[in-house]
Amino acid sequence: MDESKDHLERRCPRLGGPVSFRYCRTSGDDVSACWKIFDCWWEGFDVVGYLKKHLPEDKFNMLVNAKPKPKTVSLVELIEQAKKRAS
Amino acid sequence: MEVRKVFLTEDEIPRQWYNILADIKMNPPLGPDGKPIGPDSLAPVFPMNLIEQEVSSERWIDIPEEVLKVLNIWRPTPLVRALSLEKYLDTPARIYFKNEGVSPPGSHKPNTAVPQAYYNKVFGIEKMTTETGAGQWGSALAFACSQFGIECKVFMVRVSFDQKPYRKSMMEVWGGKCIPSPSPETKAGRDALEKDPDTPGSLGIAISEAIEAAVTDETGKTRYSLGSVLNHVMLHQTIIGLEAKKQLEKIGEYPDVVIACAGGGSNFAGLAFPFVHDKINGKDLEIYPVEPAACPTMTKAPFVYDHGDTARYTPLLPMYSLGHAFVPPPFHAGGLRYHGMSPTVSQLVTEGIVEAKAVTQLDAYAAGVDFAKTEGFISAPETNHALASVIEEAKKAKEEAKEKVILFNWSGHGLIDLMAYDKYSAGELYNFVLTDEEMLESEKVFEDYPKPQLIKSR
Repeated sequence: MDESKDHLERRCPRLGGPVSFRYCRTSGDDVSACWKIFDCWWEGFDVVGYLKKHLPEDKFNMLVNAKPKPKTVSLVELIEQAKKRAS
Repeated sequence: MEVRKVFLTEDEIPRQWYNILADIKMNPPLGPDGKPIGPDSLAPVFPMNLIEQEVSSERWIDIPEEVLKVLNIWRPTPLVRALSLEKYLDTPARIYFKNEGVSPPGSHKPNTAVPQAYYNKVFGIEKMTTETGAGQWGSALAFACSQFGIECKVFMVRVSFDQKPYRKSMMEVWGGKCIPSPSPETKAGRDALEKDPDTPGSLGIAISEAIEAAVTDETGKTRYSLGSVLNHVMLHQTIIGLEAKKQLEKIGEYPDVVIACAGGGSNFAGLAFPFVHDKINGKDLEIYPVEPAACPTMTKAPFVYDHGDTARYTPLLPMYSLGHAFVPPPFHAGGLRYHGMSPTVSQLVTEGIVEAKAVTQLDAYAAGVDFAKTEGFISAPETNHALASVIEEAKKAKEEAKEKVILFNWSGHGLIDLMAYDKYSAGELYNFVLTDEEMLESEKVFEDYPKPQLIKSR
């Protein structure tokens, strides 16, 4: 992975404090990028081109098409995952 | 002397919340089996009395006396006329704001934390868990739990935990336990730490930890709590708008424009939903949820003819643009993405009952500084987004010479978010990072386009 942009910082609208680009590209599920990465970084540099170049096609497409589920749906999924981890 | 603050007495506090689900139709969330999610599915994390509120379509829901007793610590909150800001802007608009920063944790968040703690207590719950990013929600829940004698455990994303030590201090003063996430306390946390012991954490991991801590408590006395997005959260927040209506009524005013910032939607819903009820019933007013937006900056982007949309359907317009190719479809076509937003707010946007607005970070902080210099209060960074929109509306009122009444939600103070103000003051908030090479590359898309003239009207 090209790390040339990793040092860049901006305020994370979800966490309320400054985070680096490296954080944004690794803080999503399974150490992939945060689903808001395009929203937050597109004006800073060509984040789409950057991720297209550096992510495998399937991961890039997943990110492009990422739509967070309704909260109740994700809660039900998290409950099931927590139960599985505990069993 | 002009009246600056409008108060309600404690016995004038609204006794019922307004439930917007009585007035709008929603698609139900579907589970993995394609069927609507039933209340029982959420029972491992929420007490049934709150789940009943989540799915209720009763228009008015009584606020329990025990909840009112705690809300009375700081409610009713003042409705303040921003006279100094009006003067500074030289606007004919009359600007009012609900000061939600007077709550013990300093934001609107305890408006729902308190009833949530109460309903859990009534249901026999002894411990509550949650996750927090910035720490506002975690401190609100810690405060609320302390009022009802409930244990509170907050998983705070490590990167924020390290940046905002005072949030942890607040939670602990109220008897809550604030744990940096990932933590060794849960399997989800241990797995994350095993992968990377130095991980800064994420909201995804923190929520997994908070839910696991609730679900795996074999005593059944622990539940999870969420500070935004869900219907019952929006419901509890409507006390803000209901109070504001009474206060405006006292002075013979009614808003032309209602504005609040919208992240997860709760502070917007809190102020706006009671006015949405009026609008649905024929009142003429504008209602704006405001979200951060990333827009091409006019200082860096070239002035060119470009399409206004990424699909290049719109005519060529002269604009400051980094190039339509820079904007990936479909992300920015609408200017806003409402993913992660409360479904009720999203529905109102979709139906055109409220109109989404977006402001840039720099405009937001500039507005926050103007507000602090005039009205005195230092706003939470997200509140600054609402302020930027208020200032834009006030300036528009001046241009149109209209005596508009603008109402907005001052959702919290920014006294624990001063690092962001430091960065703004130092000019570091925006690292605009296009190199000359990248600029040239992005401008290549304009090679075959006509070039606009830089025309001056005066």
